[in-house]
Amino acid sequence: MSSVLQTKTAGTPSKGEGGGARAGASRQSPMSTPPGSAARRRARTGWLFASPALLIIAAVTVFPVAFSLVLSFCEVRLEYGGLRLGSPTLAHYEALLTHSEWYRALAFTLGFTIVSVFIELVLGTLTALVLERLGAARGWILALLLLPWALINVIAAQLWSYLFNGGYGAVSWLCEELFGAQPDILGRPVPAMAAMVAVDVWKTTPFVAIVVLAGLMLIPGDVYEAAEIDGANAWTTFWRVTLPQLRPIVAIAVLFRILQAFGIFDLPFVLTQGGPGTATQSVAILGYRILFQNLDFGGGAAVAVTTAVIVLGCCLLFLRVFRAHVDEGGRA
Amino acid sequence: MSRHVPRTGVRRYVNVVNLGGLLIAVCATLPLVWMASASLKGPREISATPPSPLPRHPTLSNYETAFARNGIGHYFLNSVVVAGVSTVLILSLAFFAGYALARLPLRGRGAVMTALLMLSVFPPIALLVPLFLMERQAGLLNSYPGLVIPYVALNLPFAVWIMRNYLSGIPGELEEAAVVDGAGPLRTALTVILPLARPGLFTAGVFSFTATWSEFLLALTFNGSDDRRTVSVGIALFTSQYQVPYGVIFAGAMVATVPIALLVLIFRRSVVSGMTTGAVKG
Repeated sequence: MSSVLQTKTAGTPSKGEGGGARAGASRQSPMSTPPGSAARRRARTGWLFASPALLIIAAVTVFPVAFSLVLSFCEVRLEYGGLRLGSPTLAHYEALLTHSEWYRALAFTLGFTIVSVFIELVLGTLTALVLERLGAARGWILALLLLPWALINVIAAQLWSYLFNGGYGAVSWLCEELFGAQPDILGRPVPAMAAMVAVDVWKTTPFVAIVVLAGLMLIPGDVYEAAEIDGANAWTTFWRVTLPQLRPIVAIAVLFRILQAFGIFDLPFVLTQGGPGTATQSVAILGYRILFQNLDFGGGAAVAVTTAVIVLGCCLLFLRVFRAHVDEGGRA
Repeated sequence: MSRHVPRTGVRRYVNVVNLGGLLIAVCATLPLVWMASASLKGPREISATPPSPLPRHPTLSNYETAFARNGIGHYFLNSVVVAGVSTVLILSLAFFAGYALARLPLRGRGAVMTALLMLSVFPPIALLVPLFLMERQAGLLNSYPGLVIPYVALNLPFAVWIMRNYLSGIPGELEEAAVVDGAGPLRTALTVILPLARPGLFTAGVFSFTATWSEFLLALTFNGSDDRRTVSVGIALFTSQYQVPYGVIFAGAMVATVPIALLVLIFRRSVVSGMTTGAVKG
């Protein structure tokens, strides 16, 4: 967990913050402190080495976001030669905020994110607990778990749309055998949403499981011995010892998953096309439609900016809360 | 691990843990096996009820159609070019940036690392409009660079993060020895650090290749024309007039999946260490 802590502390030269785990970083602090031309030359080399990567990243992320911001506050007209920016206006945001479609997309995306990440966390932790206790088979099962994770999203969506297909899909057929009726999985809003969550859970629980497993392996054995001496049973040990120790390690994985789920596009695009109706229309699908079906670039930019603001807000909030936890943990 | 008391007496294979492991393995792979099997079924068998797990009359006709009529071979080549070139560029840029951020005294490094972490999970939809307009203006739509440039930029933050974490774990003495020998920073990086950086490069490389191989949103909007489609766009848009041609789709999907599955299985250690790098290592 020290990695995120590290991002906050690495810039400041004060010693003793990183802790013993950060051997590499602490070793270089003597190098950075001596004044003089040698240190300055090293710093210049450093920026020289880092700048190609940083410039490309900035050109494709920071600059476009600024461009979006301008577009979203301007009248935009599409002409033969290209775009023409008109006078400043709030119309794009007004359209977005008075349009119920945007709220519905936002609600679906948030709901999908919360439900799927929560299920992935529970199943991933269970999977990791099983894997931790497995003997020789662990390596094999870990390898198998990587396969759904590495599968192209679009292929996963096509595969499950076949399995969910009413008529000959294996899942539909199984439902009919068990409950006596063919469900219309992708044709009704709630089952379609559940189906989308199920596919996401199938595909990304392995990632959560592997991160949690890595966290489990890091918990020192004497912590458990202490709990055993105190007479804690397995259940208490899990809630009072294992889970608190895992929390900081899992936090980053959850942040990754939340932001990934929030940007979901491939799965609804192929599995449900955002339907039935607009039941599974995510923010990304809505933005895509505004852009390429309505050719409304100002409106598309407004979706882009609101998404960016929400995502950045979540990130900053998360890093703040999370850092507080690390500090508490460090002192305890 | 040492806390589990070793089982005494007859080692029992039927227990909760082993059954759980079996269940996990089946859940992860059964849908994939189903897909492989369906890709070998003829048009009648693929929509038969009840569905059969294995093809009764296996045929390669779906693969023939996928190559001959749906151009999966062509999409495959496009993906190889785009993902391959992107990965090489990402690795060369990320190596130097990671080295600088791990080793050289940079002011504001903390801010840069935090920004990179946030950018590595930034949803591409937030960049779609401006990037599309910029690429249109520059005439980059439906070209290889039109995808390679955004792919490099969007996957660099995570690759830099991995390289930085990996390189800051390498002992500094080797480097200092090279400096004492009079080697400049570039030579030190290339002759001393680069050979040691291999595991980090594997991790960053597998992640970059997998991400660029799978990417869909930008590939769909920037390179939608048939001759520049990558596999994910090609497979998403495989349709025919009357019925979804699942057999052909799955044949194409198998062609797109086998290389990436092999890559991930061969480099599984790198993948696992990359997944946990943000959380555990460094």
